[in-house]
Amino acid sequence: MKIAIPEGQPQPHTLQPVDRPRSLEGLRIAFLDNTKAPVDKMLVHLENRMREKVPGMQPVQIAKKDMGKPASPEVMQALQNVDVVINALGD
Amino acid sequence: MLLQTTPFVGMIRNQAKALGMPNLPGVVLAHPIAGVPIDTVYAKLDGAIDEIIAKLTSPVPASEVAAPPGKQWLELDIEDEWHDLQREFIRRGWGDGLPLIPPTEKRVAAMIAGAGLPAGHLVSVLTPRMGMATVEKIAVNAVMAGCLPQHMPVLVAAVDALVDPRLSLKNMQVTTHPVSPLLIVSGPLTQTLNINGSTHAFGPGPWSNGVIGRAIRLILLNIGGAKPVEISKATMSHPGRYTFCIAENEAAMPAGWKGLRAERGFAPEVSTVTVMGCEAPHNINDHESITGSGVLTMVAGTMAQTGQNNPYYDGEVLVLLGPEHASTIAADGFTKDDVRRILFEQALIPMSRWSPENIQRRLRRFLNGRHKDSPLDTLIGPVQRADDIVVTVVGGPGKHSMYLPTNGKSWSVTRPILKQDGSPWLPADFPTSEGK
Repeated sequence: MKIAIPEGQPQPHTLQPVDRPRSLEGLRIAFLDNTKAPVDKMLVHLENRMREKVPGMQPVQIAKKDMGKPASPEVMQALQNVDVVINALGD
Repeated sequence: MLLQTTPFVGMIRNQAKALGMPNLPGVVLAHPIAGVPIDTVYAKLDGAIDEIIAKLTSPVPASEVAAPPGKQWLELDIEDEWHDLQREFIRRGWGDGLPLIPPTEKRVAAMIAGAGLPAGHLVSVLTPRMGMATVEKIAVNAVMAGCLPQHMPVLVAAVDALVDPRLSLKNMQVTTHPVSPLLIVSGPLTQTLNINGSTHAFGPGPWSNGVIGRAIRLILLNIGGAKPVEISKATMSHPGRYTFCIAENEAAMPAGWKGLRAERGFAPEVSTVTVMGCEAPHNINDHESITGSGVLTMVAGTMAQTGQNNPYYDGEVLVLLGPEHASTIAADGFTKDDVRRILFEQALIPMSRWSPENIQRRLRRFLNGRHKDSPLDTLIGPVQRADDIVVTVVGGPGKHSMYLPTNGKSWSVTRPILKQDGSPWLPADFPTSEGK
């Protein structure tokens, strides 16, 4: 019996990750809060712990306006000015 | 780099892959991190700190070149075309658990013809899998749901509406919240296609509501990739995720009240489908009120509840007035604008009714800190403005209405049901009326 496959073909993408830094020292590191509880507190704690281990890192705490929606152009612009992003997802 | 908790690993991996970054590094923390003492969360982070730094500084393998399109048809060697095939559907994770109609070449071709569009026409790209919802793929799922070819124009308009960013489908496809796109079909095609907006509008019954709503769910599952458990994380979900389609009861609309399509600027001959991300309907029983103010007091009371998403966010809610309630309200001279205004003013709860944690972590933080310093007796409602209460008339005789909260982050989207040339599909285009 011949039947059609109901799954949609994924839209093709060409994204490639950027090269990773060998060290985080002196880099601008963004901590991106998606507003899910308790991500804001988590990321501040993570920043404090990373400061102990990564001398000279330059942390930036950034928050989306809404966990359920894509980041705003303002947030995307801010992320272009950093070297590394840690994006935390709650629940 | 992603920080994630155990139940969400599959979902996040799938999303990264769909966005072209299958090798994006992540660190997994034990679930949960919400609703537990913050020191517990800190301890989980402390245990992962070295892994986080290591993954931020380790090379990421290049992603594979996008795979070529896979097979579109299957040849199955089966003995029993019913039971064996249903088992095959379940094994492949294609359905909703209920029996599916086999999408044979003949049935799919007939369904495509019903759309009046080329098979390869791309209607939308559905998150989170970023699956391409072509007319052909919509048709395959429509066959499996039990639709007839004349349902295709409604499905195409609805699938187009699903990706309007105002709706926030991305959230609906993966969230733990029990939200599902509700289809409200309005206009002359509701009669032609036998879409019920009267008694038993939410079903069950011998109407097209069930199969149209089911087709949308299969499209979200199979094309959008919102597979239950692995990707869609709804804690309990709700029964509307099997099928969730009604018609607006325009015939029962009180004189002077406009239906959704008229409110949104569509001509009388144009049928529309409105898509709105809703929870399950919450009944509003009022057999006693004989004034419009009385009915609205009961509606407002049902809307004033703490467990819904809406008070934390900026989005719409839906009020479906039964015809008798609508008639009582209108008889006292209230317009639909009056209804929205009164509900906005009355559907309020004192902040003190929320738990201290929800006050601190949500009410005082969200909505740009609007209630950052508000006293505990501040009255809070489900929406931020009266116009965010969508009101219409649905159902048959009886003293019941319905309140449907949403995920709180979305606005309804209305699309006209149009042919390829931009003209509206009309009842005369369906002379055999097999939808009935």
